[in-house]
Amino acid sequence: MKILVLVKQTPDAEADIRIAGDGESLLAPENGWRMNRFDEFAVEEALRIREALPGSSVDAISVGPARVSAVLRRALAMGADKAIHILPAGDQDLFPGDTASLLASFVRDCSYNLVVAGVMSDDAMHGQTGPILAELLGIPCATAVVEERISPENGRITVERELEGGLREGLELPLPALITVQSGINRPRYPALSHVLRSRSQPVLTVPAAALPEAPRRELLLGLFWPAPSGKALFLEGTAEQKAERLAEIFSERAFL
Amino acid sequence: MSMEIVVVAELAAGLPAPVTIELIAFAKALRGDQTAPVCVFVLGARIERAVALLSEIPDVAVTGLAGEALAVYSAEAWKRVLAPRLADIKPRFVCIPHDATGADFAPGLAALLGAGCLTAIESARSDGLEVIFRRSLLNGKIQAEVASRAETTVITLLPGAYRVGGSVRINPGKQGGEMSEKRLLAAQAKIIPVPEMALVSRPLGLLSAPENDADLAAAEVVVAAGRGIKKEENLSLVRDLAALFSRSAVGGSRTVCDAGWLPTRLQIGQTGRTVTPRLYIACGISGALQHLMGMRGSQFIVAINSDPRASIFQIADVAVVEDLLVFMPLLSDACEKLKKGRLSL
Repeated sequence: MKILVLVKQTPDAEADIRIAGDGESLLAPENGWRMNRFDEFAVEEALRIREALPGSSVDAISVGPARVSAVLRRALAMGADKAIHILPAGDQDLFPGDTASLLASFVRDCSYNLVVAGVMSDDAMHGQTGPILAELLGIPCATAVVEERISPENGRITVERELEGGLREGLELPLPALITVQSGINRPRYPALSHVLRSRSQPVLTVPAAALPEAPRRELLLGLFWPAPSGKALFLEGTAEQKAERLAEIFSERAFL
Repeated sequence: MSMEIVVVAELAAGLPAPVTIELIAFAKALRGDQTAPVCVFVLGARIERAVALLSEIPDVAVTGLAGEALAVYSAEAWKRVLAPRLADIKPRFVCIPHDATGADFAPGLAALLGAGCLTAIESARSDGLEVIFRRSLLNGKIQAEVASRAETTVITLLPGAYRVGGSVRINPGKQGGEMSEKRLLAAQAKIIPVPEMALVSRPLGLLSAPENDADLAAAEVVVAAGRGIKKEENLSLVRDLAALFSRSAVGGSRTVCDAGWLPTRLQIGQTGRTVTPRLYIACGISGALQHLMGMRGSQFIVAINSDPRASIFQIADVAVVEDLLVFMPLLSDACEKLKKGRLSL
């Protein structure tokens, strides 16, 4: 089984994140970047498949500026075999359609049997790169996967997708396929020190985006903003019943319920 | 550029889901000054009732796409049926709910159409030249304004984010869903049969999720119990409330875990777990600094405590001063009622 994992570098939610002066990109301190949380589950799932199916390999790929090589090192330290870094020209943030189109141009001829991605990124939260890449590659796709089983003998993967309200949906896809995994599908391993040391000497293949067809650039970011501060707590008034009703309405208005 | 707006309806038990009504209201707002009806697609096997109900909404033209191939959702079937029709219409926007179904097929549909794609949209405005959409980054820590230059753009709308105005209501009363074919035509509705098709993916049906003491870190809603619950048996009040939210988990303060009422792995705080859910409900938690360090990154914090001076209220967005044992059952009831009310809309 030849497996590809898509990884993204995202700002650590705990870090001192700022909006850049141009209002169009996020700034984080040098140590404030990490592997997208959902992608850690994707890397772990790929490694588990490799361990279960002898002869498998796991490649990790990322699109982004020079700093993203750190998350590729992290994927190698977790146990990935190879790392590929697609380096776009300029530092403009790409939309998922652009990222997916660069990935598709590179991956199209690599004959991967399975592509694994996180369900979305912690920062942009689009949830698009995986399904768009699948479409560009012409392979089936399942999103928000919380369980998967591969039958290599008949070339199919059976997945459970997470739906709302504690429900799941089963789906069987022929390989090659792409799945995006939901957090909690596994417990991502912490890289062993020996692997961390080894990863430092493993090569990362860098592909300049200029070597690939141009991304479509259909969407554009107009600006980033801090939401208005929530201010002091709103103390609910009235009887206990009235407060309960008001709170339930607040849950509903804010789309929690 | 076409200003045609398409909505892909979502059904729940054969009826339009509440998010469909939101989507139609959103789509009407996107039309700006145009008055052309919003084109609503309904996919499924038995959709007559849903089509009839939706065609009662003013200013919509409903197209049902009916066939056994669409009896169960699959991204493959949905994309295959929608793409050629949308390619003909070349709408300006295609509006889809941002939920487990919509988020699954919308990006692929956009790719298939060569369309733009903007997901998890919360609101839209026009600056006279273009439509500008707003969405959240980093769990709502930061907001972004985005737009699309593509001829067609697929939009997924975050359920509950767009307020439904008074104009869009459906009434599944006695007459609803029993419209004659003539009336359907008069109401600009039609149902087109979709032939069987060979799909490479095979839907295996719905399953209930196994009992998961879901990873706290992955939960979007965390309901946390503190000293105020007084007894282990009262944890059921916290669990009952958590069960009303999807992707929810129960956690506890140090006190509750130390007492052995909840396992240590569910302890939230400096020495336990750090959580940053969309919604954190602190039940009977005083707000010790060590606890706050484990949850203050939460996007929206509700605190319930009988002590009006509890320090948890300092960081809460909504504060309720009540006895937990009285208030929790009332809150669960109110939430349940609200959910039921929406389903029977």
